[in-house]
Amino acid sequence: MRDLPPRPLLGKRTAVLVAIAVAALLAAWFLGLFESGTLPGSGGLSVAANFFSRALTPALTYETAPPPGTRPLLLKALIAAVDTAVFAASAMSIAIPAGLLLGILASSVWWVPDPGGHASPLARLLARSLFPFLWSTTRLFIGFVRSIHELLWAVLFLAAFGLGSFAAVLAIAIPYSGILAKVFSEMIDEAPRGPGRALQASGAGTAQAFLFGYLPRALPDMSAYAFYRFECALRSSAILGFFGFPTLGYFIAASFENLHYGEVWTYLYTLFLLIAAADWWSGALRRDFAA
Amino acid sequence: MGCPGTSFSLDHVSVDLGSTRAIDSVTLEIQRGEAVAFVGPSGAGKSTLLGLLNASVRATEGTVRLDGRPIPDLSRSELKAARACIGFIHQDLHLVPGLRVVQNVIAGRFGRMSFASSLRGMLLPRREMVAEVFAILQRVGIPQKIFEPVERLSGGQKQRVAIARALFQDPGALLADEPVSSVDPARARDTVALLRELSREKGLTLCMSLHNLDLAREFFPRLVGLRKGRIAFDSPTDALTPEMFQSLYSLAPEEMLDA
Repeated sequence: MRDLPPRPLLGKRTAVLVAIAVAALLAAWFLGLFESGTLPGSGGLSVAANFFSRALTPALTYETAPPPGTRPLLLKALIAAVDTAVFAASAMSIAIPAGLLLGILASSVWWVPDPGGHASPLARLLARSLFPFLWSTTRLFIGFVRSIHELLWAVLFLAAFGLGSFAAVLAIAIPYSGILAKVFSEMIDEAPRGPGRALQASGAGTAQAFLFGYLPRALPDMSAYAFYRFECALRSSAILGFFGFPTLGYFIAASFENLHYGEVWTYLYTLFLLIAAADWWSGALRRDFAA
Repeated sequence: MGCPGTSFSLDHVSVDLGSTRAIDSVTLEIQRGEAVAFVGPSGAGKSTLLGLLNASVRATEGTVRLDGRPIPDLSRSELKAARACIGFIHQDLHLVPGLRVVQNVIAGRFGRMSFASSLRGMLLPRREMVAEVFAILQRVGIPQKIFEPVERLSGGQKQRVAIARALFQDPGALLADEPVSSVDPARARDTVALLRELSREKGLTLCMSLHNLDLAREFFPRLVGLRKGRIAFDSPTDALTPEMFQSLYSLAPEEMLDA
């Protein structure tokens, strides 16, 4: 027993977990979440009760007579859903190529020099100075665009361009490019290096080794993640309606202000169906790819 | 457009990997068309030595020559061309997951393909190229697997794909790093026999690292014994003495755990 090495009292991981739990308690105390003041007042309670009581009876027609010539409610919800999807899809059609390009530039694999190569002095100098600079600049750029939420981008672009579709599409596309780039770069770096190195060792160039040595392994994960981000883009696109874009959020806000809770639920269920449809579609495609 | 058989020469070559000297002042000549087995305990430097031969490991000291030309003197494109002439079968195979057998085999020839033609070869290979891949797969015994994704193959079949990839490369030399470490003994013998036969057929230089001394003796006319990064013996197989092997594998007590 005397030879038994001393056992560490608290492993590093346990210590971090304990610290996080303590921080959570402190945060709750700081925000006053333990006090009775966090409970809603009676006025708030009755609004909540009215709102949730309509959950099972969403409106099928307008709750007050609309001006003549207005589209039926369900058709309006459908058109809003299509518009929501169109904004999300346009944003993703910018974000995916941009994310792919930035993701490749932000991966470490892309910049790794050939281990056995006997590079010229100039190439070696570039590899030591320029490559790390480009790599970290790309990562900084990605971090910047990603740290600003699409709603903030929307505020900026509304000020700059006005209420055009382009403002909404860019507001989603920019942060999403950053998020996709970050996750893509990690997926590329997680792919095993052996196959790409093996191709280089048999004379393949960097681009060939990258495209056909690393990317095939990362591609299924990358496309699954891109689909997940498309779902997120649908939600973001709906929310941008709060600024006046013709997506579901716009109609949710309008009905809510008029206390037409049944209509609110109609739009919420439409959003739910839209996202469920996107999820089903990506699942079906993934099964096809896997087969 | 194949390659002429490749010859290798090492002149007092050492390799430091971190703080360890993996290869310690090794001098070695391997003629075009020769078949040599590297034997020795784990960590003796067999893999590093093979890495030197295909220029994927850089010599810390000394000179490695391919066909008489020192590697550091080769330009970028000459190095690429030299590598395209050396097929390497890795211990872990390093097939590209997510690609089919035919794509993996075609990837072996990237060194001699432009980017555009490699793109075409991956996506929509020409008929003749597919036929060529099929013929090679027939030679290694798995033609029916040509369009399977590599993940669905067994260990032995994957190894055949790795061999086919190296053959499709149309090399002047084949290097194989412990090609039989992950297959059963009967298959191991088949694999070594196949590689030996193929290289004899095409006049390729063959260098293989092997744990299995019996296989090394059965199939190779020349054995190079490595221990702690140095050459313990370099001898025709007929002239080997039991003492030579003993010198290779008798471990000092402190080495037992590392082996």
